[in-house]
Amino acid sequence: MKATNRIFNFLTFLMAIVPAVALISIFVFVFQESLPLWKFSGLSFFTTYLWNPGFQYQQPIIVHGILAPPGAQFGLDLFLLGTLSTSALAILIAFPISFLITLNVELYLPAGIKKFTVSMIELFAGIPSVVYGLWGIIVLEPILFRSVEPWMAQHLSFVPGLKGEIYSGAGLIASGIILSFMIIPIVTSVIVNSFDSVPKEVKEGLFSLGATKWEVGKYLTTSYSRASTVGGTLLGLGRALGETMAVLMVSGAVTNILPASFYSATNTMAAAIASLLDSALTDSTRMNLAALAALGVVLMAISLTVSLIGRKIAGRGSLRGYEGD
Amino acid sequence: MTSSYTGNRQEIQWKNVGSRKLKDTIANGLSYVVLGMMVVILLSIFIYILDSGASHITLTMLITPGNTATGGILNAIVGTWELVGMGLLFSLPPSVLGALYVVNGRSNGTLSLVARLFTDVLTSVPSIVIGLFAFIVLVQRLDMGYSLIAGGLALAVMMLPYLMRIIEISFRNIPKEQIENAYALGADDISVASRIYLPQAKVGMLSGILLAVSIAAGETAQLLYSAGWNNNYATGFLHSGVGYLTYVVWNGINYPTTYSHYLAFVSAMILILSVTGMIAISKYIGRRQ
Repeated sequence: MKATNRIFNFLTFLMAIVPAVALISIFVFVFQESLPLWKFSGLSFFTTYLWNPGFQYQQPIIVHGILAPPGAQFGLDLFLLGTLSTSALAILIAFPISFLITLNVELYLPAGIKKFTVSMIELFAGIPSVVYGLWGIIVLEPILFRSVEPWMAQHLSFVPGLKGEIYSGAGLIASGIILSFMIIPIVTSVIVNSFDSVPKEVKEGLFSLGATKWEVGKYLTTSYSRASTVGGTLLGLGRALGETMAVLMVSGAVTNILPASFYSATNTMAAAIASLLDSALTDSTRMNLAALAALGVVLMAISLTVSLIGRKIAGRGSLRGYEGD
Repeated sequence: MTSSYTGNRQEIQWKNVGSRKLKDTIANGLSYVVLGMMVVILLSIFIYILDSGASHITLTMLITPGNTATGGILNAIVGTWELVGMGLLFSLPPSVLGALYVVNGRSNGTLSLVARLFTDVLTSVPSIVIGLFAFIVLVQRLDMGYSLIAGGLALAVMMLPYLMRIIEISFRNIPKEQIENAYALGADDISVASRIYLPQAKVGMLSGILLAVSIAAGETAQLLYSAGWNNNYATGFLHSGVGYLTYVVWNGINYPTTYSHYLAFVSAMILILSVTGMIAISKYIGRRQ
């Protein structure tokens, strides 16, 4: 009986490290697959934006000791720019909305329907990303293309980047909007949870001193919930950086043309992997696959770093208020 | 208690009462506007998808397999459940056992902490990177081909951290005394796990499973290059692609025929209904616990 118990305990230990093994092997194997690319492109992978799979039906050539299709060149700048700009726009849209929703459910909304409202906002996270993509293509893009973007181009053209030709609704703005819908529930629930964990006496004390609800909300956000607010926003950012399908469907999935304005089509690292992998498989030298794996390595590094920092900050959140003030 | 306050009450100045109240009113109004806006957007997405799905659905779509441009989507419906079931099969046992390890005080604290950190970090790996990994390792190196096993494993990597965390939380909700009593009476770890942890956490586990299944059912990026696609039903566990609903949405809407768009709408409707339905049930039973 002692022995079976020991085996059982060892088994639970093995299973507890499955996530760690999975995470490390994902990183190791994807990195290993990307190795030829680093030899082939070197630093130019980070400094150029042209992505050319090369002539896959010609005799492969040897570059830096590595077989590659002639004419192949790989630079991630366009995808990196797209990933960063769409995620930044998503945060710019999502943060104020999440903040106001939190204020509303915590301070203004009758307490009875608070839970229901939060659950409803959380439903945004439950919609599959292809469904967002579908809605983006059929509903959002035409609205942007016909009404919103022409209006912006006409009236806001003094803002840099908002002046330019409008080709279709697909691009940075559509991607940012769709991404913001996906991260609003994440950011909101982190901030709401941290508001809930503020001791009741603090809120009551503030009210008894004559603070208005807005002042209470502002005070709590900048003191007790500051860490959670930043951490939750970073968690949302981490989600936005890695989102694939919805962005693939509404970004325009462009390669080799840098965006001229906010209305131009864009592309992200995640979307590029999904859309280019199919054709990369016809490359007998596997250089295209290595290039996409390299994109995956960079994407994973960025999004894990952001999420880890977010988690670290948000985790400290509830203690923060007691140390300060 | 008599007050020793001697000052003139009128000296207390309420500064800027008007403008402070105005700010509060503006914040109040604005927060309702934003909340209302988001609710309207959410409802409009739901209504649009449900409406366009319901108005194009036909019986033949639901009872015949197809290739996202012609035929039906039965192969995709069946395939989605096969893949999700496979993912659950691969992720549930490690989640339950791993959660037991983490809640079991016997392990030294650092290891539990590290295990939990990795579990958290695994949720932030972009799904397309999991798909790329599945393609490179499972499909190519282990020569599984586009298959149910490869797709199921790719989904399991994503379901595992969610399941493990939720199961861990429902284990932690069990009163500590009960577990200590069992040990005091001489129970070993296996019987504590099978007689206390598992039965007591049944509801919480069910709620976690539903949540993980609902997330997995809506995934696409992992499956594109692990499950592939199949115009018909999968014929085996290996070397036979599998269809799934999210692929129909993606491919159907990009395919230039009206019928393929209809297929995409109907698939989206089925997806959104089953996913949000499962989330709602999961929340409901999770709350009752």
